[in-house]
Amino acid sequence: MDSLVVSPYGVQAIQVLTILLGAPLVSGVIANVEARFQGRRGPRILQPYYDIAKFFSKETLVTYESSWVFIAGPIVAFACYLTVPMLIPVLTTFPLPLGFTGDILGGGFILALAGFSVALSGAESGAPYAQLGASRAMTFGALIEPTILFVIFAVALITHTDLPYALSATIRSSTSQMVRPSHVLAAFAFFLVVLVDTGRIPVETHSGTLEFGMIDEARTLEHSGPTLALLKWGGAMKQLILYTILINVFIAPWGLASSGRLGSVGLAAIALLGKAIGLGVIFAVVDNSFSKLRLFKITEFIASAFLLAVLSVLVFYVGGG
Amino acid sequence: MSVVIVMLVCLPFATAVVSWLAPVKFSQYLTITVGVITFVLALALLPRATHSTMSVGSLLQADALSVVFLLAVTFLYATTSLFAKGYLSLGDGASGARYGKRFYAGFNLFCWSLVVAPLVNGLALLWVAIEITTVISALLVAIDDTDGAAEAAWKYVLLASLGLGIALFATIMMYYAGTSVFGASYSLTYPTLLAGAVHFHPDVVRFSFVLAVLGYGTKMGLFPVHTWLPDAHSEAPTPVSALLSGALLAMSFYAILRFFQIAVRTLGPGFPRDVLLIFGVATLLLAALYLLSQRDMKRLLAYSSVEHMGIMAIGMSFGATIAVVGVLLQVLAHAAAKGTAFFGVGSVVRKFGTKEMARIRGGVGTLPWSGPMLVMAVLALSAMPPFGIFRSEFDIVYGGLTEPRDVAVAIFVVLVVLSFFGLSWFTTETMLSENPSDRAPGVDGAVIVTKGEVSNWIVVAMATGIVALLILGVHPPSQLTQLLDRAANELGSP
Amino acid sequence: MSASPSTYDGVAAVLSLLVLLTEFAMLRAPLLRSQVRLYAFQSLVVTVLAVYVAYSKHIDELYVLAALSLVLKVALVPALILRLLRDANTDLAGSSVVGVASAILIALVVAAFGFFSVGSLQVSSSSLPTSSLAIACAIVLVAFVLIILRSDVVSQAIGFFSLENGVSVASLVVASGLPLIVDIAFLFDLLVAVVVFGVIMRVHHARNATLSTSDFDRLKG
Repeated sequence: MDSLVVSPYGVQAIQVLTILLGAPLVSGVIANVEARFQGRRGPRILQPYYDIAKFFSKETLVTYESSWVFIAGPIVAFACYLTVPMLIPVLTTFPLPLGFTGDILGGGFILALAGFSVALSGAESGAPYAQLGASRAMTFGALIEPTILFVIFAVALITHTDLPYALSATIRSSTSQMVRPSHVLAAFAFFLVVLVDTGRIPVETHSGTLEFGMIDEARTLEHSGPTLALLKWGGAMKQLILYTILINVFIAPWGLASSGRLGSVGLAAIALLGKAIGLGVIFAVVDNSFSKLRLFKITEFIASAFLLAVLSVLVFYVGGG
Repeated sequence: MSVVIVMLVCLPFATAVVSWLAPVKFSQYLTITVGVITFVLALALLPRATHSTMSVGSLLQADALSVVFLLAVTFLYATTSLFAKGYLSLGDGASGARYGKRFYAGFNLFCWSLVVAPLVNGLALLWVAIEITTVISALLVAIDDTDGAAEAAWKYVLLASLGLGIALFATIMMYYAGTSVFGASYSLTYPTLLAGAVHFHPDVVRFSFVLAVLGYGTKMGLFPVHTWLPDAHSEAPTPVSALLSGALLAMSFYAILRFFQIAVRTLGPGFPRDVLLIFGVATLLLAALYLLSQRDMKRLLAYSSVEHMGIMAIGMSFGATIAVVGVLLQVLAHAAAKGTAFFGVGSVVRKFGTKEMARIRGGVGTLPWSGPMLVMAVLALSAMPPFGIFRSEFDIVYGGLTEPRDVAVAIFVVLVVLSFFGLSWFTTETMLSENPSDRAPGVDGAVIVTKGEVSNWIVVAMATGIVALLILGVHPPSQLTQLLDRAANELGSP
Repeated sequence: MSASPSTYDGVAAVLSLLVLLTEFAMLRAPLLRSQVRLYAFQSLVVTVLAVYVAYSKHIDELYVLAALSLVLKVALVPALILRLLRDANTDLAGSSVVGVASAILIALVVAAFGFFSVGSLQVSSSSLPTSSLAIACAIVLVAFVLIILRSDVVSQAIGFFSLENGVSVASLVVASGLPLIVDIAFLFDLLVAVVVFGVIMRVHHARNATLSTSDFDRLKG
């Protein structure tokens, strides 16, 4: 078993599969933990899988006014979420063949394309709340984009490259890399970006039903059946992808497979899910310790993330830190 | 001589403590006595300072430069305590006694910090001393407990503290500049710094000098951080205004000169002079323009202080020894002239009960002694002969022409003339006009008063100032010129 | 990949950064009380930095300084101001001149200016943690922004005290060998300044029954 070596392309396929199959599990665990924090028993850990399966078995309803974009949006988004895991270090320390087809900026673009197609599809439904969600998501997306760019600049400055693998390797190389201020700042800024992008408190209540406060959630209100399943699944994958980047590129790039042996790749997959669940618990704690910001205060939140990212670049320029 | 220095440091402090405990009447006379004694002590330092540097331990030091500023401060200490005796009308009740107690304790403490500042040896201690002058004078500005005083005190304490925060930063950078020569731990005394200055890192010293000019410049009243100055000067009790203007501003200038002294050794004269020239010209320009549009007497004098600080900064930037001598003479003459002018304004304000110039008419007629002397002081401030400031500004211009800095000199002369217009307009309007008599009731809302002096103490204080101005202008004693020459040499590049 | 700074510099810079971020948080905090608490936290970070410098450079004097600053800046000063706030019975002076997001952006530009002005010094010395010094400079400048953008006496006073914290950071990173007596003199001075600020704030409150500076427009020209 140990001597079984998977080809790099195989590892790449396993990366995508890990994200694809692990994402609902991570979401399920977080939902459960969160419920326990609030003193409820919470849903089963595997509930997201059941949900997705159930949605696939239902029919999709489309309004008369909606065009093909309404159906295409979720599919494009899902495809995007399947593409990104090929570019980032999910399981291995060494770069995989397709890892060079896109840098960190490319990954960001693909994620943005996914968000855009979901929003477009929501807007196409013609329903007021879905349109509201779509427009809000685009607005805050545009505001968070500079922060992401500055995080990427910081990463690129530290590593002299914009490949996620290279940063991951830099962080692993010594402890002093972990405490260097520009890295700490960039990591924290990215943490805030993840909060915004996964629709967590203090930006959005992801499990609420109050349409007025909704941003990302509102976009999917009009979808049903398989397209809703794709959206739910895609959302879970997006969350896991962002967690993976945060973990493997910024804060804890350990436990990755250093060779293509099946055993270590499998262990890395389990380690990743474990770390993601750990991180998810942190997010759940954040979720339960803060209250949601008023919609117009979200700009302040994003401004502080931006602040951290810019400071990260500045500190690098001045102190080499 | 060390006994003299130690006495200078201890006496005013002891006086402050006694004034807090003793009855007001006693502290008034005690303050006058101590003020005169400190001036005599400072004079006693003069002969030695013309040829050597005196130091007590590693903490206190008096060289020619510090003695120049010490003379200015102690002279004002003596005359202002005379003036305060005549100016303050303390009621007999408990509130008057409380006010008097607070005032005299604060006044002596303020003078103590001003006397200590030029005598300490080292940039760090200098910063501490100047910070103490700030906090105490801020309390003195607020002492009148009016709306205006509260506002002025807040602006003053906030801005001055911020400036001193920057100055502290400058001090620390200067310390850092020294670590490359003296190692991580050493003492920031002037002789140490001056000895090693040649080897300091020029960029660090440059940074430190700019910070120092900005930081101490806030307290000196340099543009654009002068904004607290007119408010504080106009709202403080007049004795405090005189000290603020004549001594406190000069003391901040002294701190800048200490940084200048080090900076010219590291950087050569070019950069420090240019910095001072830019700040000086901007300050002088602003002051000249504001002098033309003042309605409040004490604010007018405050802007005149801003003007003189600008003149001193420009004078330093000319760099020729004669110009530097002029600047130092200007410090002394400005202290005397501005003190006297504030005393006169204090007399006028007591008499007319207002600071508004529109309501003051016929000052010379109603105040037979202090009126004319106020006119003389204002003429002295506008650099009229035969007073000291004429001589000092003449030196500065002469120095600028020898350097040669013709454009700067031309700007300088134009702006000084402009401020002369502002000051003389005020003088003729308020002092040399007719006071409306009882029979022909007031025109334009001018206050009607009867003829007579407010207090003889004020007259004595002003006469002392005028005599000093005349001595400085007509024939400065030879020891004083030696002192100024030595101080100017200390400031020049070696 | 670029060479990372030494662990000492890195930790010092992260601690200084924490001070800077607290400064930004103050810019954001609307409640006066929370502003005072942030100041206490900031002072605590400065104290930790002092202990860290003392520990790694073996300068025992700094422990004394750290202890003093703990007593003075973390406990005493905030307590004094909180008491003033209690007496004044005010939570909000409602005084930000511009919105929070704009304030942060302005402060960011100003901080960048501070960074680059220190960066332009071009001092390449092994004993100088340039990033910490640059951050200290940025702290000072952001404190200025805080004072300018807030119009109530408490925020402005806190702005001044935190400016002093910024200077402390600078003195810890570039002048850790400064004689103890000087450091103590600085701290003593701060204490005096705090008392005077307190007195004048009380006078202002007693006269105007507000902590806002919006009526500070009587003196002009």
